[in-house]
Amino acid sequence: MSVTKLAYYPGCPSEATALDQHISTEAVFEKLGVELVEVEDWNCCGAAEAENPMLVYALNARNLAIAERASLNIMTPCSICYYNLARTAKALKEDEKLSAEIKGIDSSLEYNGTITAKHVLDVLVNDIGMDELESKIVKKLNIKVAPYYGCYIGRPRETAYDDPDDPVLMDKLIELMGGEVVPFTQMKTLCCGGPLMMTRADIAYDMARTILGTAKSAGADCVALACPLCGMMLDAKQPDIEKALGIKIEMPVVYITQLLGLALGIDASKLGLDKNAVDTKELLGKVV
Amino acid sequence: MIKTWELDPGFKDEIMKEPGGEHLTSCYQCSTCTIGCPITEIVPSYNPRKIIQMSLLGMREEVLSSPDLWICLICQTCTARCPQDVGISDLLSAIRRIAEKDEEAGKLKIESSRPLFDTAFLHTVEKYGRLYDIGLAMEYYPKREGSFIAGQKAMMKDYMDFGMRMFFKGKMGPLGGHGLLKGVLPSKIKKTDVMKKIFKWAEEKEK
Repeated sequence: MSVTKLAYYPGCPSEATALDQHISTEAVFEKLGVELVEVEDWNCCGAAEAENPMLVYALNARNLAIAERASLNIMTPCSICYYNLARTAKALKEDEKLSAEIKGIDSSLEYNGTITAKHVLDVLVNDIGMDELESKIVKKLNIKVAPYYGCYIGRPRETAYDDPDDPVLMDKLIELMGGEVVPFTQMKTLCCGGPLMMTRADIAYDMARTILGTAKSAGADCVALACPLCGMMLDAKQPDIEKALGIKIEMPVVYITQLLGLALGIDASKLGLDKNAVDTKELLGKVV
Repeated sequence: MIKTWELDPGFKDEIMKEPGGEHLTSCYQCSTCTIGCPITEIVPSYNPRKIIQMSLLGMREEVLSSPDLWICLICQTCTARCPQDVGISDLLSAIRRIAEKDEEAGKLKIESSRPLFDTAFLHTVEKYGRLYDIGLAMEYYPKREGSFIAGQKAMMKDYMDFGMRMFFKGKMGPLGGHGLLKGVLPSKIKKTDVMKKIFKWAEEKEK
């Protein structure tokens, strides 16, 4: 195994709405023997709300620079944080003038392009690797899973680390853990609606309903995902969607790190599985 | 009907000067962006191809005042599929920023609450270095509803159930066991002075 230590950028949702993802990510990496060093005093990446790319570059230069000073590649569990970190790393490496200008804002923003930004899913499957993971799996997940990837994993192409139309990294992990992947291809990369949650909830709810409804008709026991904003939309808001649309969905939604944690034999309570909005108890019964 | 004397031939150059808007003229109107757009699936009148064509023609006012600008998800599906590498997602973002500048200058009234939301979000980042959900809501709802009281009511309606759920699941507040008031109080970074410098610089760059 090539990777032993990484800078960990948890992102804002890790402190509240995606606490379950944060806890499970830390637990999984501890179990795998990869040390995570939290980026000291990290700041927000700007998410989708910072529409000015210059603001995104400056905000993310600081986080990249902190990790670079520790000579560690930076890893995040959030798809949008990943996109912002990765596109900033690319822009600053390619554009010396921009890089110098950003350094001019404050010396702490000096990023020299010597480290890379990675998403947790990418690190697990491609860096740690399937063989290493397989050797540490001790439990079998007798469940049917709908792998939901959302945005920024397979697109845009400059920062993508999986296929744009039919990504497979989570599918591979699920099968490795003994789970069954339900037919879900046309939903895998459809946006969850999250960015419109606060301004056009009608559209956002419609999108989330389509994804969750498809998972249900495909016979999934749960949806697995790899982004806290998708988690917010599909899990934390699921009871609100049910109420607003007058429907019942009751589809458990878990982070891929929570599932992997179970397969690695980590206790459910240490994976935050009591914190998902839609109850996961039935799911846990199928882990043997 | 398009009145040629009302068109602004400089509009495409204005867009192309914005970061993200550079590749506007590469578009050859194939509609791949619109066919694959998840918003078009739900709102059939939503048409990014048309927004691009109108921009190329110089229909500045119609484009900037279109409420459709504000329902883009920034999901990048169009960008990933565009055969001409127009970078449509970033292009629409560039157009939205021009609309926001026009509104700031009093030339336009944006028919969407999204700029208010984005601004409230970024205010918390500027102030604390991280997103502060409650601070965001406390700014966004009163502005959207036009008064403090109406804002509180709308916020309660949207977030009462959600807030309680987060509380009882231990994701916000004292039940979390991860800091007594995490999520309730802002998580403030040490270097907020650097945040102020970053926002000031980015704002200057936008001018």
